[in-house]
Parts: sequence; C-alpha cells; structure tokens
Amino acid sequence: MTHSLHRNGTCENLKDDYVILVTPAVGINNVNSQDNLRDILDKIFELKPTNIGSYETGTIFSGATIEQIKDQLSETPRVRCCFSDKEKIKELVRYIKEKDFGISVTLSGLTEDVLNIAEELNINPHSINLSLGIYGKTEKLPSEEVLEFTTMCGHGMISKHLVAKLIDDVRQGKTTIDKASETIARPCVCGIFNTERAKQLLKKYV
Amino acid sequence: MYIDQNTCIGCGVCLRFCPVGAISLVNRKAFIDEKLCMECGTCGRNNIVKCPTEAIHENSDVYEVPRSISKYFSDPMAYHPETKVPGRGTEEVKTNDVTGRFKRGYVGIGIEVGRPSVSTNFEDVEIITKALCELDYINFEKDNPLFHLMKDPNKGIFHDHVRPRRALSAIIEFAIPIEKMDEVIRVVMSVSNEIDTVFSLEVITRLENGNVPDDVKQSLANIGLEYRPNAKVNLGLGKPLKEE
Repeated sequence: MTHSLHRNGTCENLKDDYVILVTPAVGINNVNSQDNLRDILDKIFELKPTNIGSYETGTIFSGATIEQIKDQLSETPRVRCCFSDKEKIKELVRYIKEKDFGISVTLSGLTEDVLNIAEELNINPHSINLSLGIYGKTEKLPSEEVLEFTTMCGHGMISKHLVAKLIDDVRQGKTTIDKASETIARPCVCGIFNTERAKQLLKKYV
Repeated sequence: MYIDQNTCIGCGVCLRFCPVGAISLVNRKAFIDEKLCMECGTCGRNNIVKCPTEAIHENSDVYEVPRSISKYFSDPMAYHPETKVPGRGTEEVKTNDVTGRFKRGYVGIGIEVGRPSVSTNFEDVEIITKALCELDYINFEKDNPLFHLMKDPNKGIFHDHVRPRRALSAIIEFAIPIEKMDEVIRVVMSVSNEIDTVFSLEVITRLENGNVPDDVKQSLANIGLEYRPNAKVNLGLGKPLKEE
C-alpha cells in the first residue's frame, strides 16, 4: 500500500530518518499542480535533502538532476525525498504549510518525532499508516541486518544480494562506506533510500 | 528483460542488482531466467547497473498480458493504465485528507504479499483473498490494480492466466469498520502458514487529536499485535479537507 512504511530497524537507527511525500490526488487536485510542486522542489533543494528522485527520472544517486526532476513532472506529479535532519524536515513542512498549496503531505519517521513536528508547527495530523510486521514464510527473509537496508526501498528494488555483497566489501576494505551506501541507493528510483542512515548502519562492519 | 548474448562480456556486474536473483552466468555470459524475472526493469537501467556494453534490454511485449502483469506489479516507473497511479497500490493514506478513503470509524487494511525481499506469485495472493471472501463484508479496493486481475472479486478468485505470474509484491487493500478488524486479521493469520511467501501487514486509521483511536488500539491488543514505532502520517495539509 505504501513504499515509505515498513522500514525495519531499531528506534536508535531509525531516528532522523524522514521520508516526505507530496501527492496531489488524482481527480481532485492534480490538474495544474506541477508549478506548486516545482516550488516545493526548489525549497527541498535549498535545504539539501539526503536523497530525492522521481518515477520519471530516477534519483540523484543515479544521475538525475533537479532540473530533470522538475521538467519531467507527470500529469499526476509527485515529490518523494528523504532527510536526515529534524530541523530541515521541519523547515520544509513549515514552508509547505505557510504557502498553503492545498496538496496532501505525508511524513514518515519515528511516530513520536513526526507527531512532535506536527505539534510544534500547529498542524493537526489527519491519518496514520501503521506497520504491523511481517508474517508468512519468514524463514525466506534475509537477515535483519540486510532487511534494514532493503526495506528502505518499499518497492523492493534493492537486492538482498547487492546489500550482502557490499557489506562484505566494506568489511574487507574493498570499498568505502560512502561508495557502498550510494551504490545500494541507486536502484531505489523514487529516492527514499536514506544514504546517511545506510552509512551509519555500515559503520559497524568497518 | 533479456541480455543480448552477442554484446554481453560476462563481467557479472548485473547479477547482484537483481532483487530476485534471476540473473546468472551461463557459458560466461549473463542470462536472465524468464520464469524468475519480475520485469522490474532494474537491470536494464544503465545508470543503475552500469553494464559496460549496455547489453540488457526490455522485451518488446513487456506491456502486453501476461508479461505486463509482472511489470505493473514490480516496476514503480510503470504507470498503471487504469488508475494512472504508479506502483502497486492506491494513493491510500497519502491523500486521505482529501479523498476520505478511510473515514472515522473505519480502518484501511493492507496486506502486501511478497514484501519484503521475497516476491510472490498470484496463487499465494489468492489464498489470502479467497479466505477473506469467506467474510461477506470484504470489498476489495477497486482503485487497486489487483482488483482488475480478479475474475470474481466477490470470491477473491483471479483469472487463470494471472495466477502463475510472479511480481515483487501485490497489495490486498480494503476498508472495514473498526469493530471488524480483529476478525479480519485473525482470518489473514489463519492462512499465513499456507503461503510460500511473506506479507507485510498494515492498518490505516484516522487520528483523533494526534492519537491512534482507543478502539483501534484495543482491537490490536485483542489479537496480540503491536505496531512499529515508525509510521507514515498524513499531515492534513490537503484541500478541500475531508473531515468525516
């Protein structure tokens, strides 16, 4: 149902992992919403997000530029990105609220932190999407350490084999934490894979 | 997806990027097993895999049934023709402040079969949809592309050509009154050991002054489920706001 839910991890390593989605509703307020989204995209780039992408272009880690993301907004345009800093995400939400675009915004992260941001900005949140866990043939799952990376792409585009290989490469000193993090990020086309969180997770393998 | 055997140099860089391990080296050339391929398109995006000879391509019939079934349920860059929404689900909580899809007194239930990191065929999805249809009040979300693959949505049965197809995941999505929640989740759990894959379970509810409603918490407690500390919150900034 949603690609920014179900991120595996602990409260400690999920802290400061924020995904923001700006989504005009099809058939309600998507028509002529592109300019508003371009305005929001300019603000996002001013704040320097950890990652950003789009279904049309891929992400900054696979070579997309802000101009490409802005130019190629579809008739049902969407903004997807992630931040690793509470103050930055708060500033972005404050901007969107003050400009009163009237477009739906969801913020994913530790629930307590997200609701605190809403309260600090005098926002009354509307609804919540809760994750109740994973069931079925769970013995088919990769290890929890790998899931912490792969579940940062809710579309399942990040291969467990890629993550395992890069963890191994980091462990053996064959690659750096930065390079490994950015390589794992590339398949996640909408840009919600948090490379800063990935770097923190990879540190334990050095 | 397929790999041009004439241009592939067998470097193997693409193997690790496939989410389901469908690529292997055969006679020193990379080869995609069609039965395993989800058509997610990852291997063919050269800015991702960086194939040195650009040998990986999309099949010409990828947007035709039955291959398109895997495509639409695996590649987020493919917009579904019926819903104009990319990906596998609806706008769900993303736009709930203006659509009112999940109203007060109701919850949205999402069962994402195959997620995370396992994938699924539609036979396993059908095991769950058929079980749910034993409850006569389940109405699957019509804007979810899964609905369009069903031969009989009242029985949760898929078309014959759909059942064997594979996808990275498929989302069973519907809304129910809060008081039905524990019964529904018990049914889902009762067939969880009959499937050969996993599913991620989720619930969507309205917030009451920033809090999860007590009756939702109580229903989850009744079945021994807890929600994770991280969630996705609709901030209510959309207009016109649906308050009911």
